[in-house]
Amino acid sequence: MKAVILVANYSPRLLPFTATRAKPMIRIAGRPILESILNGLHNAGVHEALVVVHHEQQALRDHFGNGSNFGMSLEYVEQQELLGIGHALSCCEPYLKRQPFLLVYGDVLADGNPVPQLLRTFAETGREVALVTLPRNSNEYGNVYLDNEMKIRRFIEKPQGRMQSNYVFAGGFVLQPRIFDLLRQHGQSIEACYQYLVQSDGLQADLWEGTWIDLIYPWHILEANQMMMSAWRTAHIHQSARLAGNVQLEGPVVIERDVVIESGAVLKGPCFIGEGSYIGNNSLIRTFSAIGPDSVVGYGSELKNCVLFGRSDLGRLSFIGDSVIGEGVSIGTALTTVNHFSDGKNIVVSTANESVDSGLPKLGAFIGDRARIGARQTMAPATIVPAGSFIEDNISLRGRVPENPKES
Amino acid sequence: MCGISGMINAKNVAHPLYASIRNLEYRGYDSCGMALLDAGKIWTRKNTGGVEEVNQRERLTQLSGRLGIAHTRWATHGIVSRENAHPHLSTNEAFAVVHNGIFSNYQDLREELEAEGITFCSQTDTEVFVQLMARHYDRLQNTERAFVAALEQMEGSFAIVMISVHELDRLFCAKRNSPLILGLGEGSNYVGSDINAFLEYTRRAVVLDDDEYVMLTQESYQICSLRDGQQVEKNILHIDWDAETTRKGGFAHYMLKEIFDEPQTLRQALKIPDEEIRKLAQKFAEAPQAYLVGVGTTFYVAQLGQYFFSQLTGRYFPAISSDEFIDIAGVQAQDLVLAVSQSGETYDTKMALNFARQRGAKTAAIVNVMGSSIGMQVDQIIMQGSGPEICVVSTKAAMAQTLILLRTAVETGRQQGNLDDQQFDSFIAAVDRLPDLIQDALNEQSGFLRNIARSTSWVPNWLFLGCGQYYPVAMESALKMKEVTYQHAEGMPAGFLKHGTLSMIEKSVHSLFFVPLPEQQDLHRRTLIAMEEIRTRGGTLAGFVFKGDRHAYEVLDYAVELPTVHPWLAPLLQMTMAQLLSYYAALDLGRNIDKPRNLAKSVTVG
Repeated sequence: MKAVILVANYSPRLLPFTATRAKPMIRIAGRPILESILNGLHNAGVHEALVVVHHEQQALRDHFGNGSNFGMSLEYVEQQELLGIGHALSCCEPYLKRQPFLLVYGDVLADGNPVPQLLRTFAETGREVALVTLPRNSNEYGNVYLDNEMKIRRFIEKPQGRMQSNYVFAGGFVLQPRIFDLLRQHGQSIEACYQYLVQSDGLQADLWEGTWIDLIYPWHILEANQMMMSAWRTAHIHQSARLAGNVQLEGPVVIERDVVIESGAVLKGPCFIGEGSYIGNNSLIRTFSAIGPDSVVGYGSELKNCVLFGRSDLGRLSFIGDSVIGEGVSIGTALTTVNHFSDGKNIVVSTANESVDSGLPKLGAFIGDRARIGARQTMAPATIVPAGSFIEDNISLRGRVPENPKES
Repeated sequence: MCGISGMINAKNVAHPLYASIRNLEYRGYDSCGMALLDAGKIWTRKNTGGVEEVNQRERLTQLSGRLGIAHTRWATHGIVSRENAHPHLSTNEAFAVVHNGIFSNYQDLREELEAEGITFCSQTDTEVFVQLMARHYDRLQNTERAFVAALEQMEGSFAIVMISVHELDRLFCAKRNSPLILGLGEGSNYVGSDINAFLEYTRRAVVLDDDEYVMLTQESYQICSLRDGQQVEKNILHIDWDAETTRKGGFAHYMLKEIFDEPQTLRQALKIPDEEIRKLAQKFAEAPQAYLVGVGTTFYVAQLGQYFFSQLTGRYFPAISSDEFIDIAGVQAQDLVLAVSQSGETYDTKMALNFARQRGAKTAAIVNVMGSSIGMQVDQIIMQGSGPEICVVSTKAAMAQTLILLRTAVETGRQQGNLDDQQFDSFIAAVDRLPDLIQDALNEQSGFLRNIARSTSWVPNWLFLGCGQYYPVAMESALKMKEVTYQHAEGMPAGFLKHGTLSMIEKSVHSLFFVPLPEQQDLHRRTLIAMEEIRTRGGTLAGFVFKGDRHAYEVLDYAVELPTVHPWLAPLLQMTMAQLLSYYAALDLGRNIDKPRNLAKSVTVG
């Protein structure tokens, strides 16, 4: 069976990180999201996929190529205009034979692989199948009503103003080619097609009972990172990695090719050190830290529950906690991300258009790609630094920093 | 509690036999085994562990033979070991048996046989029977006569299936006080502890009565009485349960599936003819005194019934836990004892009914499993028709039982004139909407319950509190939480809290409140007092509240808001929600949800 993976969309709520990349290129636990999705497909015996691209597609195409490095055969389909999921799917019709296929949304992650059970349910029932799950907040999604045979009897897209929390569509489907006819009949609206399937003879549901995260806001990157890393049970250290004497490792630590770790460093797993990275003397890398490839962590720095996409330099004596740092970021000496308020209240994040309660008592900074941050910075909780910002030495930052495309 | 199965076919029975004990596994799962007759010899494989696990180690399905027997065990006598697992063979390997029940006189017989030089390889009561069988055969040279002779010497309870090298195309089986059902196929015949043993192969069944034995061939069966050897004619039942309903149908666990079955189960309970309910209600109305008995979940169902009867008929019919019934119930002739039992095989409940009958009382029962021994013994049986309940933890069956008790209480109230037509009609209208209401609540609240379960599954100590008819719901829900999460939960009347238990309240002690409808002013006020008592002492509060109850909602740290419903039906809605909460907590803790440790589906031993 062929898979269709939707990765075209632009998600402004994930700024600053989506300004410069497609959402599935966000690194979770050291790997782009799309790589985890491809792994899941591969392990379920699905080796061919159509990837629907648009926003920031070049980097994604360059990274995944024809898929052979990932055991897949990939073809790319460009969605010329972002006109919704139905439209994105329609773009694939010429490339799919009149056969059932898997539809996978490229921005959701689960703490396991739901693809095999999805295929099994399809095989057993012969009906179109939708993966459903219980999210933390179901108002963002298509809410479904299940009966005792796991058929979906009703479907309400993003219920407004009702106190309800149903199982929701989890971004995985097995569909029949008739979906393309339905899309034509329903003005390319995928919701209308789902509604039709539910009302005509009950779309079959397949329950994902594990943890499931859809990345909507930047702090979901940290949640997804924790979810993926929590499943790690073993440590992996590449034979080319060079660990100096007196480096202390605990728990499932993953250290990739050509990593250098200097004396006095302490790594507490689960944590991830990407290819070619350098960890300076006396650094403390605490649980749920994922440091992307070719990064430098300066002397005496502490990292805790944070994601660095890679190719970033972190100055000496810094503290990065509960934060996400984009690619190619340069940080001067002694950056402190303050990650909680002294009153212990949940941290409210001001994004482009709204203020959102993250529900988290601890949250640090979100620093976009290629930002250059001067020395001795202190960032208040939930500081957002846009991609390409240049920030001078010795300032305290708070809230959402205005766009500052002063890239010199 | 064990599951036994036997079959005879034109082809190899290894795979279907294995499948049948897989389907019976909920009856017990500490060890299992199979014996097949092939090339004039009995081939046995058995070991400790669940059915799948044993098959991996012993390759049960690689056996071959046209007839065979199988067993999945839940130990009562003898430790769990390979030797004690069934089937058991005679020393000369001419006979193999599987047995569910207890031969109470096995020690004496064993000593006799040992004195004659027979060595035993297990500690079980079952092996005594098979050795005795071999000895009788040596004397009589006739399997049927030897089988009857051996059984005549056995006391206690048994459902037994036997194969022999002397009988190349016959299975022998018999029962007394343990369940056994024949399944009649096309060119194949089956026998099992219940219909799950063969539901995949046939829908035609014959329920055996006590002291009957059967000789089963591929094409025929002959049922005889153990007492006089006379042949017995029996009705063939057609099982209308869909084979599909016995499986999980896409749900990860039977428990969740069975909770989602509840709307359907309630519809079935509403379809029980008014006539039957009227007949039962009349018994209540006429009885000088009535007792409601059950044990475990069914005791709490009976307790709910106690509240229903009290409020709707003004009469107090005590609910008594079956195991305590004999000690406490001063049953008199003409009194009524109504038992509630999912399996209809619950030992303690059977004993309570026996006691009641001896005292000359009338008996009735609400039972789910067709052909069960409780069903055969009582004066009136109400079959709840909930379909098989596979998860060890009872959910849908308890809901149906509660609704049937409520219907009976309402009808009794009407017959006695406590209820006017208007009250009756409003109840009927409300109860008709109940299945859909629960269907929607299951869907719309799942996410909230999962979130609460995620945040609180670590909590080692819960207090579940409710008053009035919500008190038994709190008790039942606490039991559910204990069964499936292995965490402690204590149910208690909300008003009881301040008389002692309040001393243990601090932040880590979590309480779950079953908050009445605001219109039930007195109950509601009393519940809120208890909530305040906990809140002022810093305890953490969760609760189920009905829509529009701002007051209670604001006191709770975790609240689930339910749609407004008829006050008599409110406990049912909250019971469902608490079942889901326990399910998601157990899921978060990675528990063995459908078969919690140390538990078996129906407890058929004392």
